[in-house]
Amino acid sequence: MGRMSFVGRRLLQLVPVAVGVTIVVFFMIHLIPGDPALTILGIHATPRSVAELRGEWGLNRPLISQYWLFLDRLGHGNLGKSLIYGTPAATLIRQRLPATLWLIVYAAVIAIVISVPLAMIAATRKDGIRDHVVRAVPLLGLGMPTFWVGYLLILAFGLDLRWFPVGGYGSGFLGHLHYMFLPALTVAIALAPVVIRSLRASMLSVLGADYITTARSKGVPGMRLFVRHVLRNAVIPAITVLGINIGFLIGGTVIIENVFAIPGIGQLMITSIFQRDFPVVQGVTLVFAVMVVLVNLLADMTYAALDPRVSFDR
Amino acid sequence: MSYRTHALKALTAIGALVLMAGCGSGSSGSPAGGSSGSASGPVHGGNLIFAAVQDAQSMNATTVFDNNSIWILEQIFQPLYTVTNSGKGEMPWLATGYTVSANKKTYTFTLRPGVKFSNGKPMTSADVKFSLDQNRKATKGWAYLDSAIKSVQDPSPETVVVNLKYPWAPILADLSLFANGIVPDNYGGETEAAFYNHPIGTGPFMWDYWHKGQALKLVRNPYYWQQGKPYLSSVTWTDVPNDNTRELQLEGNQAQIDQTPAWSTVASLKSNPKVDMHLFNSTQTNYLAFNELRKPFQDVHVRRAISLAINRSALVKAVLFGNGKPANSLFPPQVPYYDPSAPGYQYDLAAAKAQMAQSSVPHGFATTLLIPAGNSDYLTIGTILQAELKPLGIKISIQQLDPNTANADFQSLKYDMSLTLWTMDIPDPDELATFAVDPTSGARSFFTAYDNPLVVKDTHLAERTFNTANRQQLYNVVQTDAAKDAFMAFLYYSPYPYATTSNVHGFYVTPLGNMHMEDVWLSK
Repeated sequence: MGRMSFVGRRLLQLVPVAVGVTIVVFFMIHLIPGDPALTILGIHATPRSVAELRGEWGLNRPLISQYWLFLDRLGHGNLGKSLIYGTPAATLIRQRLPATLWLIVYAAVIAIVISVPLAMIAATRKDGIRDHVVRAVPLLGLGMPTFWVGYLLILAFGLDLRWFPVGGYGSGFLGHLHYMFLPALTVAIALAPVVIRSLRASMLSVLGADYITTARSKGVPGMRLFVRHVLRNAVIPAITVLGINIGFLIGGTVIIENVFAIPGIGQLMITSIFQRDFPVVQGVTLVFAVMVVLVNLLADMTYAALDPRVSFDR
Repeated sequence: MSYRTHALKALTAIGALVLMAGCGSGSSGSPAGGSSGSASGPVHGGNLIFAAVQDAQSMNATTVFDNNSIWILEQIFQPLYTVTNSGKGEMPWLATGYTVSANKKTYTFTLRPGVKFSNGKPMTSADVKFSLDQNRKATKGWAYLDSAIKSVQDPSPETVVVNLKYPWAPILADLSLFANGIVPDNYGGETEAAFYNHPIGTGPFMWDYWHKGQALKLVRNPYYWQQGKPYLSSVTWTDVPNDNTRELQLEGNQAQIDQTPAWSTVASLKSNPKVDMHLFNSTQTNYLAFNELRKPFQDVHVRRAISLAINRSALVKAVLFGNGKPANSLFPPQVPYYDPSAPGYQYDLAAAKAQMAQSSVPHGFATTLLIPAGNSDYLTIGTILQAELKPLGIKISIQQLDPNTANADFQSLKYDMSLTLWTMDIPDPDELATFAVDPTSGARSFFTAYDNPLVVKDTHLAERTFNTANRQQLYNVVQTDAAKDAFMAFLYYSPYPYATTSNVHGFYVTPLGNMHMEDVWLSK
C-alpha cells in the first residue's frame, strides 16, 4: 500500500471517530443541568424570558432533532453560532486555534531540543554521574504540577529577570516566539523526562547492536556515528512516545493557557462549558479530536519515513 | 551585563522561587481607597491594559446583564444623567437639567450643547428619543426599569420630554442606567445587530476592536464633550481569568489594572511599592438565602436562629481578610435610605438557641447548602456555617455544583440554603428592594419566595413618595421588617478590590461599579 492510500485510509477512519465524539459530547453537554439562557439573562431571568430565548435558539426541540440539525449543519461546514457571543463558533475557534497550535508545536520543539542532547549524554555515560543526573533531574519537572512550574518560570524570567512577558500571545512571528517561550518551556519541562528516558533506553539498545560495533571498528568518528547510526535508529520509539504525549497535551493545554492568559481553544472550551455555550463546546471538542488523530497519523508517518522496514500495509 | 551574570542571576532566582512564591512582594505601604495624585498633573497618552476576570459578552446595552460588558460599554454610551461618585445620587450628564410638571408626570430635559457622537455627528433629541424607546422595547432586557415611562417626545433638537404613566420617584435614577445610554437615531441606518458590532456613542472612548475571549480595545473619542478628556489614547480590556496571572501581569507592568485581586493577596499588594491597592465602597452585599418553599425554612424561628448563630465578624476576617463589614440591613450603606440602625440579626448564640427552641424543629434538622464549585470564598463560609450551626443541632451538607447548574438550581428554587450576593444598578433603592422582597418580581424575593405583603406594600409606596423624609421612613420600615423576618441572613458588606500600578491616576469605581475612564491617566 502506498503512502497516499495509507493517509487516505487513516483520514477516513477519522470520520467515525469524529461522529462518535460529536454524539458523546452533544448528549453529555445537553444532559447535564444548566442553561445558557440563564447565563445571558442572569438574575433578571423570568420563566417567560428564559423560554423565549430557548425557543429562539431551538433548545426547546427534542434532543435528537437538535442533534440531527447539528450534524446537518456540520455536513455543510457550519458549527452553529455561539449562544453567548452570537458569532459563528467556527470563527471563534479559528481565532483561537493558532495560539494553541503554537503552544503545542513550540513545546514539542523545545522538548526535543532538551531531550536529544541529554539522552545522548546519559546513554554515552551509562550508570555514570552524568547519567544519574540526567535521569533524575528532569523527573522533577514531571513531578511538579505544570501550573506551579509555570508560575516559577514567570517569577524568575518574567518578573525578576524580565527576559520574557508574564503572559499573553504577542503579535507577529517574533512576538509569538517571545511571548510563547515560557508557556512552551513549561509544557516541555513536563514532556521532556518521558522523551529523555525513552530515547536513552533506545540509544543504549542501539549502542549494543552489531552494526554499531562494526561502524566503530571501521573507524566512523564519534559524532558521526551517533548522529547517522545511533540517533536515527533510536529516535523511532521516542517519536511514538512523543506523539502519544502530545495527544494528551492537546487536552491539557487549558491549564497552561489559563496560567499564561493565552487566548487558545482550551480556554475557550472551559469558558464555553461554564456558560453552556453548546455550539462552541461541540466545535472545540471536535477540533481536539481531529488534532489528536492527526498527531498520531503524523507520528506514524514519521516512523515510517525514518524506518524503511515499516510498511504502510497495516 | 554579561551572559554569565545573567545565567547566575537566573539560577539564583530559581533557587529563591519558592520563597518568592510564598512571601508575596514589596515592603512599603501605599494609600488605598482612592486614586493617587501627582504633582505634575494629568498627562495625555498611553494605552492602559485592564486585566479583567472575564471577557465581555455583548455591547448591546439594552439587553446585556453581564457586569464586565456593562463597565466597558459605559465608556461608549452615556445617559442623560449619571450616578455621582458617592453612588447615592444623580448628576447631569448628556442633559444639563430638567423641569418637572406639577403632577410630576412630565419631565422636560435640556440637552447639553455641543455633544457629538464619535463619528462627528451632533447628538439631538431624536437620538435620545430613539435610545429611550429602544430600551423600553427590550422586553428581555432592561425595559422593566423604564416601565413608568408612557412616551418620549422630541419637540426641539435640544429638548426631550419624558411622559410618565404615574408619578415615579426613581425616574432620574432609572434614566441614569447605562441601558438608557444614547445611541444614534435608527442606529445610524444600520441594523441593531450590525450597530452593536462596532457601536457609536458620545462617550470618552470609541470602538477599535474586539477579539472575543482575548481582548477588547477602545480608543480616544476625538469629539468627546469634556474638554481635554480622555487623557488615555486607548484602553484595552484583556481576558485574564486566573487571579495569580492578573497579579503577575500587574507586577510585570504588562497590565495596569487588576480587576478583583484575591482577598488573600490584598495585604501583600498594599505593601508593594509598585502597586496601589484600592478598596472602593460598593453596593455588594453577601447573604445566606433560605428557600421558603422548603421545610423548615417557612418557620421564622428557624431563620432567626440561623441568623443569630452566624458570627459575621469571623466571616469578614476569614473570607475578606478583614476588608469588609458585618451587614445589618438588606440595604448596603452605599444605598440611599440605608438605615444604620436596621436590626439585622448579629451573633448571639443564646438567643439563637432560644429561637430554635420555639421552632418547629427544636432538636435540629439536616439540610444542604448549595454553592458553586470552585468558589473558595463560599466554601470557606460553608465550612464556618457547618461549625456555627452545629450547636443548634443543624447538620449542613455542602452541595457543590458547577456554577451554571448552581445558578440554575438557585433561580429555580431547587435548594435549601444558598449563598448569594447582590449589587445595584441604579442610585436608588427601588430596584434592589423590589427584587428583594416582592415575590412577583423577576427575582422572586431574591429567589427565596419570601412574601410579606406589608413589606411589599411599603416598598411600592416608596416608589411614588417624593418627600425625602417620608421615603426614608418607608424604607426604614422595609429594612426593619425584612430584618425581623430574617428571610435571608445578611452576612457582610464587601468593597470592590482593584489593584493598579502606581503610575495609574484618577481611577475610581463608584459603589455601583461604574468607572469614569476619561479621568484616568498614566504618569511616565
